[in-house]
Amino acid sequence: MSEISIEPVLGWRLWHVRLHNDEHRLESFTMHHVSWPAGSRFEARCAVHRDGAPVHEHECGIYAFKTRVLAEELLRRYTGVRHRYGREYQELPPVRQGRPIALGSVSLWGRILARERGYRAQYAYPYELFLIGGDERIARELRDRYAVDVSLV
Amino acid sequence: MDIGIPETEREIEIVPLEEPVPGPAPVEEPVEDPVPA
Repeated sequence: MSEISIEPVLGWRLWHVRLHNDEHRLESFTMHHVSWPAGSRFEARCAVHRDGAPVHEHECGIYAFKTRVLAEELLRRYTGVRHRYGREYQELPPVRQGRPIALGSVSLWGRILARERGYRAQYAYPYELFLIGGDERIARELRDRYAVDVSLV
Repeated sequence: MDIGIPETEREIEIVPLEEPVPGPAPVEEPVEDPVPA
């Protein structure tokens, strides 16, 4: 039996910020070239289950972590920068020049499967973004396009 | 992304009253300069 709520779940995740037809857009972090729509929800789709995603005993759905710390950990694993001067990296690591990444919170709703560290969701929309390796122009562009707060880190 | 062990998965259904997708920002109407009498 599933738990029913009317409040969206807030998760944390990463996006690539890439140019699509001269527009900077959020792109899924692990699914390449999947651009997130602006002004409408991003819907989970699965090659097997179509719009039935997410499904138990499969890995489909829109992924998010439960905490910002877990999303930051993924960023450190991705950049390969985990230590600085012999201690654990506390700050956000630098990303490759010209390859900005957005760390942010994301609203999740519809059918959601929760695990101990995160979620797989049916629908999602960014809630707040922190831009890493970008500049004010890209931040403004994302802010206008997705109508959410975007801060430079 | 590593979100944990599949065996711990539990289902939540979220039925928001309103979709959490922000609409476009309202466009401010320009205020006309007062015309001197």
